Amino acid sequence: MKKKYLPYFLVSPYLIHFAIFVAFPVGFSIYLTFNNWNIIAPMEFVGLANYKRLFSDATFWKSLLNTVIFLVIHIPLQIVIALFLAELLNQKIKFRGFFRAAFFLPVIVSGVVVTILWQQLYGFDTGLFNRLLVKVGLGKIGWLTDPNIAMPAIAVMATWKNVGLYVILFLVGLQTVPPQYYEAADLEGATHFQKFFKITLPVINPTIFMVVVLSTIGGFSLFIEPYVMTGGGPLNSTISAVLYIYKQGFFYYHMGYAATLGFFFAMIILAVVVIQKRLVEKDR
Amino acid sequence: MKMKLLIPIILLFIVSCDSEKSSRKVDMIYWSANNTQEMEFAAKIVKDWNDKYPDNKVLFQPVPEGQSSEEVILAAVVGETTPDIYSNMWEGDVEAYAQAGVLIPLDTLNGFMDFLNERCDSATIKEVTSLDGHIYQIPWKINPIIQLYNKKMFEEVGFDKAPRTYSEFLEAGKKIQKDSDGDGYVDRWIGYAEVTVTWWQRFFDFYPLYLAASGGAPLVEKNKAVFNNDAALKVFTFLREVYKQKYFPKERISARQDAFLSGAIASRFTGPWEIAHAEKFKPKGFEYDFYPMPVPDDFDEPSYTYGDPKNIVIFNTCSNPSLAFKFIKYALSEQSDLKFLEITGQLPRRKDIDINKKYESYFEKNPKMKTFAAQAKYVRGTDQSPVLKEVFDLISQEYEACVIYGVKTPKQALDDAEKAVNLLFIK
Repeated sequence: MKKKYLPYFLVSPYLIHFAIFVAFPVGFSIYLTFNNWNIIAPMEFVGLANYKRLFSDATFWKSLLNTVIFLVIHIPLQIVIALFLAELLNQKIKFRGFFRAAFFLPVIVSGVVVTILWQQLYGFDTGLFNRLLVKVGLGKIGWLTDPNIAMPAIAVMATWKNVGLYVILFLVGLQTVPPQYYEAADLEGATHFQKFFKITLPVINPTIFMVVVLSTIGGFSLFIEPYVMTGGGPLNSTISAVLYIYKQGFFYYHMGYAATLGFFFAMIILAVVVIQKRLVEKDR
Repeated sequence: MKMKLLIPIILLFIVSCDSEKSSRKVDMIYWSANNTQEMEFAAKIVKDWNDKYPDNKVLFQPVPEGQSSEEVILAAVVGETTPDIYSNMWEGDVEAYAQAGVLIPLDTLNGFMDFLNERCDSATIKEVTSLDGHIYQIPWKINPIIQLYNKKMFEEVGFDKAPRTYSEFLEAGKKIQKDSDGDGYVDRWIGYAEVTVTWWQRFFDFYPLYLAASGGAPLVEKNKAVFNNDAALKVFTFLREVYKQKYFPKERISARQDAFLSGAIASRFTGPWEIAHAEKFKPKGFEYDFYPMPVPDDFDEPSYTYGDPKNIVIFNTCSNPSLAFKFIKYALSEQSDLKFLEITGQLPRRKDIDINKKYESYFEKNPKMKTFAAQAKYVRGTDQSPVLKEVFDLISQEYEACVIYGVKTPKQALDDAEKAVNLLFIK
């Protein structure tokens, strides 16, 4: 008898934690999607009204589009820069350890701190970037105030912040490339570029896919940067899906609708990750 | 050994969890705003009350720290740990709480209407009456938003005070605008308003101007948008011109040193709290004053503005509302209001504030506050609606598209805002 319960007792900390902090919130959120609830008044059952509203909510679709724009700029930029830096840091250069640490530093600094720092850099009148542009005789750019530029500007900043992590991942990948491949290529008289494109890239392909998947998931959760820098403006050009969900939930206390948006958004991420997974597995 | 230490700690914890009401023998808990001056006032008034009525003790606490007092109150409502009395309720929040049934309808208390009629005029009473006809809040204090201006800068361009009409404002804007360092960019403006869409930023540009242009008209009435009118059109057209001509900067300048005191801008739409700030930080010889909000050219009545009213409510967790009301009456007496004015520099919302002899000496000592006292007759709060923040947010979105970026005409923007706001009310 005692033997029968002991295993359950031993795994109970995990089960209790799972039940309270995962299963219940997920179940409750799904239940919320069928209700209207502003926290203070009792819940009101509304059936599928929240889902109906979602499909006609132009701002939500705009926020999804913004998130996609962010991803389209951010991911390729991130991969190219991270790969380039990893390749450099993989050479025998002076102060290699220092540089590796330096590029990783922004990753461990708090997102809010980085964002506030970049807000200063992007400032219209006193920002360093614009002062530099004026010094060299070019016009000022409304980094965060021009609706066409704000999102790319945020994507560049996010790249600067995250690139260190992917540099490390690529470095690991690069070091798994067997050196004899390069030796063979050297004997054949291959150039540096040929070696990179014909040997390095194909061998580190799995790493590239991993980076794509990780930065897609990271990119979908874009929140701090627009929340601190632009509040979603100008003209809603930087409102990300998560920021919009947050606004619905904690600005207007539309908990039911926010839960619906969150649920729908989670489904989209799931679909994207499933597709990516298929592609990765097919490639192998 | 460890156990011996642990038990008293646990006991202490359990004892301290006991509600403060029962352990300290108090009848009511009162929360005030948690800024230094208001805390000083609340502590004083509660002490006086407790000395006078030792059998009906009130315990004063500042509202607990949180990201905003609104958030703390919300958490308290959900946890049913609200105080009996709360004195810093933003008028726009009341309707949602009233509809949730967590506030006491004060008009059901004995003598309340007499008290209110004595304190406020009929327009104010109408403003605080909820959609269901009850009154859930007592008008307490206001901080009217009007023009703060740099006297010398306006004198230089031929104005002896801040502009009264839109044309005067635009004319002054043109004359004040300057590129002092010659880099091809304007670096001196007539004024500045935050360009972010955050809904409450409109309290410092669109909303007071709208109230001024319309003689204090509402934005929404009985769950319907009523702001798509001539006054709003004039305000949008005016502000759009201001940004188009670059009389206001579109970029944030709030990160730098104080733009007004450093002379980068000549005026601002702001409240009486600027006085304490300016007196502390102004450079030598700096002269400033206040003037009512600008109005359309053909408008010749007094200009209304937004008063940023904060009111007092009694929560339904209160076991003795009549006693709570008695305390509130004490805290809002003529004498207490004078103390409040002296300690905080904020205006009590009473109809006789500018004529009552009791306050005369204060205004003589603080002449800059006189403009605000004169304005007090012409202030509005917000409309009674449970979705007020969204109303402001939707207007703010259209404001940004029309006024700041000029991608919509004022008419288009107001039509779209009206449509979007009315969608909120469809059940």
